[in-house]
Amino acid sequence: MLSAMTAAASMFPGIVFASEQEKNIPEDANLDWKKGPCRFCGVGCGILVGTENGKAVAVKGDPQSSVNKGLLCVKGYHQIMCIQSKDRLTHALVKRNGRYVKTPLSEALDIVADKMKSTIDTHGKDAVAMYTSGQSTIPEGYVASKFMKGAIGTNNLDCNARLCMASAVAGFLTTFGADEPMGCYEDIDHADYFVTWGNNMAEMHPVLFSRMLEQKATRGAKIIDFATRTTRSSTASDKSILFEPQTDLAVANAICYEIIKNNWVNTSFVEKHCNFSKGITNMGYGLEDNYTFADKPEPIDFEAYKEFLKDYSPEKVSKYSKVSVKDIKYLAAIYGDPNKKVVSYWCMGMNQHTRGTWINNLVYNIHLLTGKISQPGNGPFSLTGQPSACGTAREVGTFTHKLPKGVVTNEKSRRLAAKIWKVPYERIPPKPTYHATEMFRAVDRGDIKFIWTQATNPLVSLPKTSRYRPGMQKDSCFVVVSDVFPTPTSDVADVILPAAWHIEKSGLYGNSERRTQHWDKMVEAPGEATEDAWMFIEVARRMGYGDLFPYSKENHVEEIYNEYRQFHEGPKHGMAPLEVLKKESGVIWPYVNGKSTQWRFNSTYDPACSNGEDFHFYGKPDGKAVIWQRPFEEAPEKPDQEYPFWLNTGRVVEHWHTGSMTRRIPVLHQAMPHAYVEFHPEDAKSYGIRNGDQVKVSSKRGSCVLPASINERGLPTKGQVFVPFFDENMLINDVTLDAFCPISKEPDYKKCAVKVEKV
Amino acid sequence: MRKRLGIISFFVVIFMAFIVVWNYSYQQGREEAYIPVIDTPSGNYIPSERGAFLRFENPNMDYVNMPVDENHQRSLEDYYDNRAYLGAPPSIPHPVAKERSYGGNTCIQCHQNGGFVEKFNAYAPVTPHPEMVNCRQCHVTKNTNTTFTEFDFDKMQPPKVGVGANNAMPGSPPMIPHQLQFRESCISCHAGPSAPKEIRVTHPERINCRQCHLPQENRAIPKMDASTFLRQFDQLNEK
Repeated sequence: MLSAMTAAASMFPGIVFASEQEKNIPEDANLDWKKGPCRFCGVGCGILVGTENGKAVAVKGDPQSSVNKGLLCVKGYHQIMCIQSKDRLTHALVKRNGRYVKTPLSEALDIVADKMKSTIDTHGKDAVAMYTSGQSTIPEGYVASKFMKGAIGTNNLDCNARLCMASAVAGFLTTFGADEPMGCYEDIDHADYFVTWGNNMAEMHPVLFSRMLEQKATRGAKIIDFATRTTRSSTASDKSILFEPQTDLAVANAICYEIIKNNWVNTSFVEKHCNFSKGITNMGYGLEDNYTFADKPEPIDFEAYKEFLKDYSPEKVSKYSKVSVKDIKYLAAIYGDPNKKVVSYWCMGMNQHTRGTWINNLVYNIHLLTGKISQPGNGPFSLTGQPSACGTAREVGTFTHKLPKGVVTNEKSRRLAAKIWKVPYERIPPKPTYHATEMFRAVDRGDIKFIWTQATNPLVSLPKTSRYRPGMQKDSCFVVVSDVFPTPTSDVADVILPAAWHIEKSGLYGNSERRTQHWDKMVEAPGEATEDAWMFIEVARRMGYGDLFPYSKENHVEEIYNEYRQFHEGPKHGMAPLEVLKKESGVIWPYVNGKSTQWRFNSTYDPACSNGEDFHFYGKPDGKAVIWQRPFEEAPEKPDQEYPFWLNTGRVVEHWHTGSMTRRIPVLHQAMPHAYVEFHPEDAKSYGIRNGDQVKVSSKRGSCVLPASINERGLPTKGQVFVPFFDENMLINDVTLDAFCPISKEPDYKKCAVKVEKV
Repeated sequence: MRKRLGIISFFVVIFMAFIVVWNYSYQQGREEAYIPVIDTPSGNYIPSERGAFLRFENPNMDYVNMPVDENHQRSLEDYYDNRAYLGAPPSIPHPVAKERSYGGNTCIQCHQNGGFVEKFNAYAPVTPHPEMVNCRQCHVTKNTNTTFTEFDFDKMQPPKVGVGANNAMPGSPPMIPHQLQFRESCISCHAGPSAPKEIRVTHPERINCRQCHLPQENRAIPKMDASTFLRQFDQLNEK
């Protein structure tokens, strides 16, 4: 009992419980606490997991972590409960005559290796594909890349981060030539204004939002919510501004117009550190198979840019964005005020956009024109949705065009990878193949004959699953699924491999602020559940690539990380050594001379700056960031007479992504048992729909029946409906459109046209 | 003549200075107008979310530094005594000043922000919905302890409270064991000197309560047959 009290007291330092509150403290709280990052979103909170007799029984926030300072959200506090779920995948299952047969893991891996090898022999290297995840650990992503690109020699590797972060990456690369945010979470402690672009942080990034609320309460910082739907974040913000879907492009340009018109441009910053450029317009939307696009940047001058902006006066933009002229000028005034520090935050609202790269560029334009970038409290900040979308997908590079350093199209990058991997340089193909959407189209067409998915659930998370589910069910493709729980994706698998969960293995994740975090294995995985990295290595060895994977089972995480670190040596991306990561609650890269670099491109903080100026955008050869001329273009599918509503999709605070973990946590399932469709009250009234009525939401692609929700968690604008996508029994992605941003290839889940009927 | 010229040039200088100062202050004034006044948000508010953050914006309510007055604490027993059943509006346990008043300014004076009331030797409980001013539509005074006829009403047992009662794991945040309608502002009842001592929160400085604490059963979301969460997988599995 005493130890339980100590444990409870240590959770709330400085607080003494009233005796009435103490009486129910559980007696079994004599726990061993180990540090790690949270399993869920990209914020990357530090957690401490309490174990007792080899079982994880409690979670608390890591007070040492500068990300969350001891606080978590409801998902974080209950995360470990999912591993106790009774339908846990504990053994390999092989489909035989339509039934899943429990099979020893080594035998299942034999089958996978044989199938992969015979497919390559018959149909060529590009007939096999791997689809991994922003939830894969750094070693898992690294082994996947080495296996596919270095050993087999195909670029058929992409990951689910394509569905969430690709536009952010393309935005960073086109504007700065270097991926990932320049600032860090500490910006929150310095900013006067937080402008959130299409982002419901109160539910999706609650720990960061709480840090913002704290600054609002103590320093009077202001939160401006710029969105298409009224949410919990709107309720907590100082001002909520609603806009018509897709018109964020026009409003961002209008803000730049106002900044220039009112002489709020930081002229010396722009002259020293910025170029102006334009690219191809009317790019299309990638709706047809085998669509390709390559942008052709063309330098322009400031005068041409000003001329272009004349179409984006607040008065003109106001007409179609439904944002008042006053509100546009208000936003511009916040960014334009030289005495106010502003951070812009965004996540899927801007990234899942058929012009996702453009809108990322446009928000950077605002910060570049005003010089509000790369300083404490000033800067654009792209948030992530997965725990290692940055660390694994973006830094290790589990995309078709990427290598751990650089891209496959660059000879230097290929030579470096070949050297470190110890493979012939010619083996790494110089041409990217399939991005996520196109990969599943190729499965449907029959071009890909073997696909292995890991730590992801594409048949819930892809757009237009109404095409890709039947596609994956076809006999032409052999499907291997590694996962912790059965999902609609494992339902179509030929072999299911049982994966170890988060704390059942050691690993490293990288969060949104470039923070790399390590954890050690805390509990044993049940049955034959195994680390994903180790299953890749076992298959690679069976295929004859053993010499490329000389790692030991006990120590492979460390061995792989040390090999991977060689790719990023130097002041621009140096990663901390493992000894440091084991001790500290995460370290921000570039890690130079024993120090994290919190603000990149600013010579005060970043030792990689070498031009002798205050700022150096060293990602670009000339050291200058690019201000892009990007116009407003319409969405590919807009509401019309037959399909009169916009459909917007997203998440809720209780569930994370496709819910395969959070729905197995009783607290979260009970609080949010299923999905729903949100209406504006006036739309509901005109359709005679009442709260809880069953409503069929249909597009040209498919339909989904859900209960109506009016005036509850969120409030869409008139003419829009919103559905959370976590529910595998109400698959809203059967309805969504697989149009994507031609530059980043990231699909748009936020806009398509639907009709609704009461059923 | 010289003197006059001197006086004239003196006034010219004064006038020029005035022009300069006036211009400068005009420019400053423009700077002032730089950030327009914040008006009400253009978005609508959501009933179930309404008020969740509102009380934190009140500069008079410094919950973190509110001392606990142990001699005048409320207990949960007092709290439930004053309610006919769980979730019922509490009755008014003290005489009211004006019988004809609908509440409004009168009730709100003490019940918006709370504070010690000498007359009743207690802290005034804080209402979670100060924007609803027709108080006595729901809250009535208790003028007698007798009933009209003999009466037996089974009061539901109040939910258990304290560490371990509503949480899933040791140290994990407790879930909300009650309905939220009209009680969206958690802090009104869970912090400050009038909060029942058993449910006073240890960390009132946290603002986004429902980041960690969820309703145990979310009745704001339309109810459906929970058995739909069953996977086909089980049927495919070899027995």
